[in-house]
Amino acid sequence: MNGPTRRRDAGDRVFVVGVGMTPFAGFRDDATVRDMVVEAARSALIDAGAGAAAVDMGVAAYESDHFNRQMSLGHVLHEAVGLVGKPAVRVEGGGATGALAIRTAVMALGSGAARSVLVFGGEANGRSVDRSTASEILAMSADFEWETPVFGTFAAPYALMITEHMRRYGTTPEQFAAVAVKNRRMALDNPYAHKGMSITVDDVLASRPLSDPYRLLDASLLSDGAAAVLLATGDWAERHASTFGDRPPVAVLGTGSATDHPRLSDRPDDMFPHFAAKRRAAEQAYRSAGLDDPADEIDVAEVYDSFSGAELQAYEDLGLCPVGKGGPAAAEGRFDLGGQTPVNTSGGLLGRGSAVGATGIAQAVEIVAQLRGEAAGPRAVPDARIGITDTHAGVGALSVVNVFGRAA
Amino acid sequence: MRVHGVERGVSRAGRPTSLFHIEMSQRYRHTAGFADPFYRGIDQGVLRATRCDGCGAAWFPPRPFCPVDLAETAWYDLPGTGTVTAATRVHIPPPFGGVEAPYLLASIRLDGVEGGITHRVLGDRIPEKGTVVAVKFMEGVPAHPLLRAAFEIEGRAA
Repeated sequence: MNGPTRRRDAGDRVFVVGVGMTPFAGFRDDATVRDMVVEAARSALIDAGAGAAAVDMGVAAYESDHFNRQMSLGHVLHEAVGLVGKPAVRVEGGGATGALAIRTAVMALGSGAARSVLVFGGEANGRSVDRSTASEILAMSADFEWETPVFGTFAAPYALMITEHMRRYGTTPEQFAAVAVKNRRMALDNPYAHKGMSITVDDVLASRPLSDPYRLLDASLLSDGAAAVLLATGDWAERHASTFGDRPPVAVLGTGSATDHPRLSDRPDDMFPHFAAKRRAAEQAYRSAGLDDPADEIDVAEVYDSFSGAELQAYEDLGLCPVGKGGPAAAEGRFDLGGQTPVNTSGGLLGRGSAVGATGIAQAVEIVAQLRGEAAGPRAVPDARIGITDTHAGVGALSVVNVFGRAA
Repeated sequence: MRVHGVERGVSRAGRPTSLFHIEMSQRYRHTAGFADPFYRGIDQGVLRATRCDGCGAAWFPPRPFCPVDLAETAWYDLPGTGTVTAATRVHIPPPFGGVEAPYLLASIRLDGVEGGITHRVLGDRIPEKGTVVAVKFMEGVPAHPLLRAAFEIEGRAA
């Protein structure tokens, strides 16, 4: 299933039969990562109306032993969510970990190795360690041999990319600050969000500088949290998931993944301000989902806004707007509620927050809620039929795009 | 590992909670590995890269084998000059220390090799794309050997 895949027939579709997550928070002083994953997995199973005993396989998603303080966490979690005896796999792909776990489950279902897979991810990225320790650990996700010794913060490589985007296309700090404002506002309406805020572009521009042109409010949050989804074939769902017929079924329509040079300075000049892996992953995902015109066909998207500018770069690389036009599109509200494609209705990493192993799964939880029509309040996107999730590792070293659709 | 104490309290959600204050620290013997000649070069005031004698392709950062024809690569000296692709002023010091923030960081395309390096640029003004830079080797013992090198601004590209 690696590489382009054919458009799925209804008979071998993969359905998202259950979703669940914990609220994301700056510090869960009442729950270990294990507790959080159990809470999320339980919610997903209850949502599906299925017991763990009927599930064929587990996929655990987490990134860092340094943050989670548990090696071999995958099978510890596997047992804790009630899957002992079943096959287990742990998936890690940096910021794309959760989405890669979903993709892995789709591959297992497509191969016939399983008819149902519980995907669960969590991370304790919040304030269990002090800020400087967290920075030290995070700096190790740059290339330890060639980059970590000179990077103060991951803001730096993102800042280098957006600097070139600004020079080439005229993108402005006000335009990417608008993304930071939008996502934090969206988070105000999401009870699972880490920190919604009502702020202005001026507030972003006045916040503490991290790495020019990025400032503190351009940067996403580090959270404690967990999320889970139960994926299954239609046959399994009809037999074991008692809620399957109660609401519009949501299917995984396609998935794509690709890689780029992990070190920014190795990338070809023409692609320096762009996420090449994201473009390839999106093309692959859209092809497998049978989407011809993503800007027109995609109704709602969760996009990897590790930094505010990365979201507007992603609009372009995901084919939601022309290359170089992400800045004006952000400022015009094209990706806000009521716009062409509402992006990060959950609040994104900037507002809902990021618990790395859970992030790509939490994105899927939001998209499924939108497609089912369960997203409540102002952030609801009316009659959304197709939604995508987008995450990447590093500064786009590995990208995963998953496409979801309402099947009825 | 060491437990420094247990803090009893009430969680934000209003539940009784116990917080264990645990300390872990490690000291590693981290080898430069294949890149050893690079670090010896830094001590001698030269930047080194590798190239394939078979097809002539060259890499920085250095790599032991040519991924095209699988031949072993050979080390050679770079001129130490390059061109800025993009630069930023970083306001948080790097994790190994040794550099005071704010400092300038640039993505630099190195002359004489396919590839580049993200590294520190000396000075106060953020260099623009196309600025020509040259490596400068610092005196003293740096916080990390890679920080023995930094880049100085030479001027604008022609």
